[in-house]
Amino acid sequence: MTATAQPETAAPRAPVLTLQRMMPALLLMPCLAWISFFFLLPLALMCWRSLTAEGFSLAAYSTLFTSALYAKVMLTTVKTASIATVLALSLAYPLAYALTLSGGKLRALILVFVLIPYWVDIIVRSFSWLILLGDNGIINKMLMTLGVVHTPLELLYNPFSVLVAMVQILLPLTTVILFGAMLRIDRTLIAAAKIHGAGGWQAFRTVFFPLSLPGVYGAALLVFVLSLGFYVTPALLGSPRETMIAQTIMVEANQLLDWEQASAAGFVLLVITTLIAAIYNRYFSLDRLWGGSDA
Amino acid sequence: MDQSAATTRTSGAQVRLRKLSKTYGTTAAVDDISLDVPAGVFVSLLGPSGSGKTTTLNLIAGFLTPDSGDILIDDRSVAEVPPHRRNIGMVFQSYSLFPHMTVADNVGFPLRMRSKLTRDEARKRIAEMLALVQLSHLEKRYPRQLSGGQQQRVAMARALVSRPRLLLMDEPLGALDRKLREQMQAEIRHIHRSVGTTVVYVTHDQSEALTMSDVVVVMHRARIAQIGTPRQLYEAPASAFVADFLGDSNLLPGTIAAVDGSGYAVKIGNGVFVHAAQSQLKFSAGERAYIFIRPEDMTVQPARSAQGDGPQSLAGDVTELSYHGDVFWLSVAVGQGLLKVKVAREQGGAFETGRPVRVSWSPNAARLLPLADDDLRAGERARS
Repeated sequence: MTATAQPETAAPRAPVLTLQRMMPALLLMPCLAWISFFFLLPLALMCWRSLTAEGFSLAAYSTLFTSALYAKVMLTTVKTASIATVLALSLAYPLAYALTLSGGKLRALILVFVLIPYWVDIIVRSFSWLILLGDNGIINKMLMTLGVVHTPLELLYNPFSVLVAMVQILLPLTTVILFGAMLRIDRTLIAAAKIHGAGGWQAFRTVFFPLSLPGVYGAALLVFVLSLGFYVTPALLGSPRETMIAQTIMVEANQLLDWEQASAAGFVLLVITTLIAAIYNRYFSLDRLWGGSDA
Repeated sequence: MDQSAATTRTSGAQVRLRKLSKTYGTTAAVDDISLDVPAGVFVSLLGPSGSGKTTTLNLIAGFLTPDSGDILIDDRSVAEVPPHRRNIGMVFQSYSLFPHMTVADNVGFPLRMRSKLTRDEARKRIAEMLALVQLSHLEKRYPRQLSGGQQQRVAMARALVSRPRLLLMDEPLGALDRKLREQMQAEIRHIHRSVGTTVVYVTHDQSEALTMSDVVVVMHRARIAQIGTPRQLYEAPASAFVADFLGDSNLLPGTIAAVDGSGYAVKIGNGVFVHAAQSQLKFSAGERAYIFIRPEDMTVQPARSAQGDGPQSLAGDVTELSYHGDVFWLSVAVGQGLLKVKVAREQGGAFETGRPVRVSWSPNAARLLPLADDDLRAGERARS
C-alpha cells in the first residue's frame, strides 16, 4: 500500500520489506489468527461434516431441498424476518429523525433511552415479553380490569409475540444505523430547499428522505440478515408449529443428533445470507453505511 | 446570451434592517444593526470572521429569528415569515446543490416548489437560466460530476430561476482558486447587471468586496463600522479598523499640537511634528489621534543618514525588503515604529536592508483617524 515514487529511469529493484511496508499485514495478524481458528476452521469442519454422513454424499443437502419441512421453515423464517425488518425500520426512522433534529442534551437523553435496552441481554428481553404478554401478564390483566375483554387474549406463542419481541430487540440497532446515516446528510441542503420555496414537509419529501434512503437500504440488509438467525426469541415466544431455521438446526443437532443435517442447514443459511449481502452491495454499495462516498 | 438576459430581468427588492439584534448566550452576534439597501443594488457585508455578517444574512433569509428589531423587504415586515415564503434566492458557501438531482432538476427546484408555471414554461425557464450561466450542455449531469466553478454556476442558476427580487450570497467564491474566483467575480457582476435583482453578498475578502460591490458595509464586532461605496471606504475610512481592514495602512499615534485651515500639526515623538490634511473628520488641538497614510502614497529615497524628520517625511532604516512580483514591500524602522511602504518594481532594486532611507508623502496623503487602540488590534487579528 505504501507507494514509493520511483524515477522512470531507475532500474527495477526488488521491493524492500521494510517494517513500514509490513505494518498493515502485521496489524491484521492477531485478528486473522483468531478468525481462522475460531471461525474459518469450524466452518470448514461443519462443511466437511455436512458432506460425509456415510462416506461422501450430498444426502443432507438433498433432504434440505426436497423436504416439505425445510421449505415451510425457510418460508416462515424469511416471512418473519421481512416483516420484522419493515416494522423495525418504520419505527426506527421517525426516532432517528428526531435524534437528528434534536441537539445537545435532548439528543444525548434520547440516545441513552434507545441504547439501554441494547445493553440488556437478549434472553432477558425475550423473557420480559413472556411476563408482559402472558395470560396473567400485565397487558391481559389491564384489559380485563378495564372490562375491554373477559377472557385473556392469546398474545403469546404465535407470530405476533415473536414479531413484537424481535422488533423491540432490533430497534436500538436499527435506530443507531439510521441515525448515523442521517447525520451525514448536509443540513444546509435542507436550508437550501427551504429558501428556494420548500415548506418543512416538502423539504423532507424532496431532499431529506431521498438522501436518507441509502442508510435505510443498508439498515434493512443488516436487520434482515440478523433476523434470519434469531433463535432465542422465537424459541421462547413462538409457536412450535411455526419455527424458524435456527430453531430447526438446534433441534437437529441437540435432540435428533443429526449433525450432518444441522451442518448442511447451517451452511445453506450462511450461503444465502452472504448472497443477499453480495447482491445488495452490488446495487446499494454498503460502503455508504460506513461513510463511504455515495458516488 | 443577451437575449436570455433580457427575458430574465426582474426588478430588485428594497431591503431594510431596523435595529436588528441577535444574541447567542451572552455574546451578541448582531448588535442593533440598521441598514437600508436600495432596490437593485449590489451590497457586500464585509468583515472578519465573527463580525456578524453571516448572522445578518441568515436573519434576512429567515434561518434565524431576530431577538429584536425588524426586517423589511419592499416595506413588508418578514420577521414572522418562514424562509420558503420570503421569495429569496440564495447561493451557499458550499453550493449545497442537491446531490440526488441532475443539474436541470436542481435549477428547476424553486419552480417546482413555488411557481405556477406549466411544465413547458418551466423547461423553457430552466434552459434560459442554464444559458445565462453557460451550462446548457451539462443539464443531465449530477453535481458530483461538475467542477467547483460549474457547481457554483448551477447554484447561481438555481437561486435566480424563480426571478427572486432579492439574492443572498454567502461567501460563494471561498472554495475556488484565485484565477477562477476573479473570473466568477466578473460573471456574477455581469449576471447581476443582467437580472437586476438586489444582491446581499457576504465576504471576508476585502478585494472581492471592493471590486464587486456598489455599496460595502464593513462589519466589526456585531456592529456596522462603516457604510460607503468602495472608493469612499478605501479613500476616506472613518476609523482605524476600516483603514486597516481594507487594504494596508500606516497608523502612527500622536497628539494634535496645532490646527489651521490647511490641516493639523501632530506631534508623534520628541520634537517630531507631522502634517495631516483636513478631512470630514474634525479634531481639536490637544486630542490624541492616528496619522493614517496608505503605503502606496509614500515614496522612499536612499538617504545618507537616518535623520531629517519633517512635516511630510520620516527617516529610518530598511529592516525588510520583500519581492511580490509587481511591487516591492519595504519595512522602514522610524523613531515611532515600522512603516510599510510599497515601491514599484523598477525602483525596488535600489534598496537594501540596513541602509538609511527617507520616506515622504504629499501633503494630502496623511489624514487623521480617531484613536481607538482596540479597533486596530482587532483589525490585525482579523488579518493574521
